[in-house]
Amino acid sequence: MNLLLALLIFFSSPDDKIKIKEPWMRISAKGQTTALFMKIENTTDIPDTLYKVECDFVNRAEIHETYQKDDMMGMRQIPFIVIPPKSTFELKPRAHHIMLIKLKREIKKDDEGEITLFFKNAGKLTVKAKAQEMKMPKMEHKH
Amino acid sequence: MNKKLNTIKILNLTFTLTLTLLSLTGCYEHFPLKQDISRTQNKFLNQDSIEVKFPELVKGKITLMAMVYTHCPDICPMTTHNMQLAESKLSEKELDKVRFVVITFDPNRDKPEVLKKYGEIRDINFSRWNFLTGDEQNTKEVMLKFDVKAVPADSSYDADGNLSYYIIHTDRISLIDQDGVLRKNYVGSIADVNEIVNDIKYLLE
Repeated sequence: MNLLLALLIFFSSPDDKIKIKEPWMRISAKGQTTALFMKIENTTDIPDTLYKVECDFVNRAEIHETYQKDDMMGMRQIPFIVIPPKSTFELKPRAHHIMLIKLKREIKKDDEGEITLFFKNAGKLTVKAKAQEMKMPKMEHKH
Repeated sequence: MNKKLNTIKILNLTFTLTLTLLSLTGCYEHFPLKQDISRTQNKFLNQDSIEVKFPELVKGKITLMAMVYTHCPDICPMTTHNMQLAESKLSEKELDKVRFVVITFDPNRDKPEVLKKYGEIRDINFSRWNFLTGDEQNTKEVMLKFDVKAVPADSSYDADGNLSYYIIHTDRISLIDQDGVLRKNYVGSIADVNEIVNDIKYLLE
């Protein structure tokens, strides 16, 4: 319980302006590139903007979007993501993601890594993401 | 009125006869494609830097094939993962007759050792999988054969002056039968894995 509480505090800005939920990154080899995904909840009444990402186990981290052109898929860097008030923005496969470029170490399944997100209003927020190949569907618990 | 009814009856009969003939002659196919891709061969290096020819490499086997690049953090890993999921849904006996081939359309960066690392981190079974890289000519020929497009898009230089570029590309997994005939394409990153598995089983029957 204490651990859960600690994690919840860890993934939230000091005054809970922004909450980060279900952060995960895709497994990848050293020297290669991967993506980080999460849900960003803006609990305030004003928009907030994610404008920078830092991560010490990669050469650099960028905000990206995946796009479709005819029957082809591509990706490109974008300068920021605006999270509207009282809403959740999801970074997910085939859409927006954080590009982790040139890994300094390999990321195997269940490995963890710390990433720092910078928001205009909420400020600096550090999250811990676990590595997996794909997002696991949520299990339904029936009692 | 009678004339109209007769015409409808004749049309119905013609339609039924046509369908029967199509199924008897094998023209009414389970798969949408029937393109022999085994007439020409292309040279590649596999993940162990061994020279191989594709598709000769998978002769007599049902093959799932995709073209990817390892610097892709989103689409290509999903495509590779879907191929792995299909593999996991087949029995050992079935897998004896199935092979998996991943060819890079970014051979400048995807050297054999890079492809090997890409496979190792995903626990790929290299006895069934081949990751191939080739020169520009062979890569282009295979892309043309499978109608795969890959165009360099956004690029940038990092602090050390290294060029980094992304590629806009076709998102596809292809199914090749045991006779070297391309039978079906799937959207690789969002492919219905059960559909792929059922198609492989159909070919195994």
